[in-house]
Amino acid sequence: MSILAITVDIVLNSLVLGGVLLIVAIGLNIIYGLSRVMNLAHGSLYALGAYAGFTLVASGLNFFVALLIAPVLIAIVGLIIERTIISPVRKRSIVYTLILTYGLMFLLDGLIKYFWGNEPRFIEIPEFMRQTLPIAGTHYPVFRLVTLLITAAAMIGLMLFLGKTKLGIILRAASSIPEMVSCMGINMTFVHIGAFALGCILAGIAGVISGPLYTIDPIMGHEMLISSFVVIVIGGLGSLRGAVLAAFLIGLVQTLAEFFVTDLAMVIVYMMMAVILALMPRGLLGEGRFE
Amino acid sequence: MSKMDDRTSEMGLKRGTGHPVRIVALLILIACLALFPFVVTNRFYISLVNEMLIYGLLAMSLDVLLGYTGLLSFMHNAYLGIGAYVVGLFLIHISPSSLWLAILAGVVATSLIALPVGWVQVRTGGLAFALLTLAFGMMFYTIVWKWYDLTGGDDGLMGVPHPDIQLGGIVLGNSGNPTAMYLLSLCIVIACFLLTWRIIHSPFGAVLEAIRENEERASFVGINVRRYKLYGWMYACMLGGISGGLFILYRGYIGPTTMSAFAGAGVLMMVLVGGMGSLWGPIVGAGIFIFIQDYISTMTEHWELFVGLVVILLVLFMPRGFVGLGDYLTRFRKE
Repeated sequence: MSILAITVDIVLNSLVLGGVLLIVAIGLNIIYGLSRVMNLAHGSLYALGAYAGFTLVASGLNFFVALLIAPVLIAIVGLIIERTIISPVRKRSIVYTLILTYGLMFLLDGLIKYFWGNEPRFIEIPEFMRQTLPIAGTHYPVFRLVTLLITAAAMIGLMLFLGKTKLGIILRAASSIPEMVSCMGINMTFVHIGAFALGCILAGIAGVISGPLYTIDPIMGHEMLISSFVVIVIGGLGSLRGAVLAAFLIGLVQTLAEFFVTDLAMVIVYMMMAVILALMPRGLLGEGRFE
Repeated sequence: MSKMDDRTSEMGLKRGTGHPVRIVALLILIACLALFPFVVTNRFYISLVNEMLIYGLLAMSLDVLLGYTGLLSFMHNAYLGIGAYVVGLFLIHISPSSLWLAILAGVVATSLIALPVGWVQVRTGGLAFALLTLAFGMMFYTIVWKWYDLTGGDDGLMGVPHPDIQLGGIVLGNSGNPTAMYLLSLCIVIACFLLTWRIIHSPFGAVLEAIRENEERASFVGINVRRYKLYGWMYACMLGGISGGLFILYRGYIGPTTMSAFAGAGVLMMVLVGGMGSLWGPIVGAGIFIFIQDYISTMTEHWELFVGLVVILLVLFMPRGFVGLGDYLTRFRKE
């Protein structure tokens, strides 16, 4: 392969990886920004999304239909979790919510193992997506390009929702001054529920599209959770622009690292997170804020 | 912080440590534990209680961080793992017979690794600190898992020799013998407990609690918050390294799963079950946890599900754990 082809391959791969990371990380970021709950079970919700997609596709539905239904199912699961488990401890110290969602992560993982077992699964994709497309000397899988399009569509949809609709504006306002928003007569309980549901929808989308990209196994959420932490920490907690930048940066680093030294990929990423946190705790763009 | 935490601090500082009833109770407990291997001669039970003691030490060291300094470490088991691997490697490659040197090497290596990690971590607080412990813990886990030549990767570190336990030139027993190993663990755990108790009830411990209650106010009084957090962190990691040394001596084997995030949640749960901010609570919690784990894992493979459920129920309904239960009972009786 020529240098150009390798470069195109690496760039596209890192965009795909970065895109999936971005969707999960932004969901985590929105939940944290709006309800001050760092949801450690987010990776497991993402895995649950992948399994939901797998079951829907295996039962004969089209991949794209599953892509629409699975996130809604995850959002329903998220709503139940938010109401029963997370809302009672919201007022307590952050240590408690962290431990609680950590427990939730194991509960969800346990449920996944209970229902789907330990063996790896694959989501069947439609015929046309299994082909490859020749780009600049390399044959790139169509499915990965479709993933890229879905990611872009999800991000544009999210931006339009947050920027143009009344609900989105309420959500953004609530993330900067929650007291003021509740003074305007808006019930913050609904804002918390909405944020959690939105985060779950994003986790569900990411789960379904990563189904055919990687294998689905019960621990797929753990690595994703840690990677999305890295993304929101590097981008700055609560900063959306920072998260976009960081997601593609991490995607690139991980792809490059996997290309050259396979085993140390994650170690490099963790080191990056530590360095950024120590030297610039507000993230790359300086927009983040820690409590 | 909430009302609950205020109560904990009251409990930690004002209650006398030298009340005669408590000292007698403690001595009876120690005597029972020391006589245990001579009464129950079943090797299996001796090993089980030994494991409870070792994890109790680890849980207690996490309590110094979580219950007293207010810093959450998700993967404190990483430091047990580092200590265990270093002690194991020391015994295999450098000297198969010097037990004390090996433990010393384990503690020194754990501290050397914990120092830069802690230096980075104390620059943050609360959430960022917790996330960093997760990132570093996963990093150590990945390194141990992938560095096949040194650590044995997935297979774990096998064939660790069992040195004799010597004190002043007299051989007290071999660490491969469950009873001798148990007594060694018991002595070290008691020594660490008393030392930690003394440290926590000194002005230094009060500073740590001040940081837990309100970091900003503590810094206004002139406390160098970062430095004290680092001291607390280093102390907790050193204790973790000691527990790691005992762990490898008792088991003769360690695999990367001991350092996984799941095992980390187990340690956190021991502290929660026992009750934060009491030192002895987490040791009791470790005992309960290991007993239940041993019991349930023989019955069902869906152990994860129970761990998750128990953690959630504990945080929701019994946030002060076993210690809190005792307090409720005494208050109930007074009323």
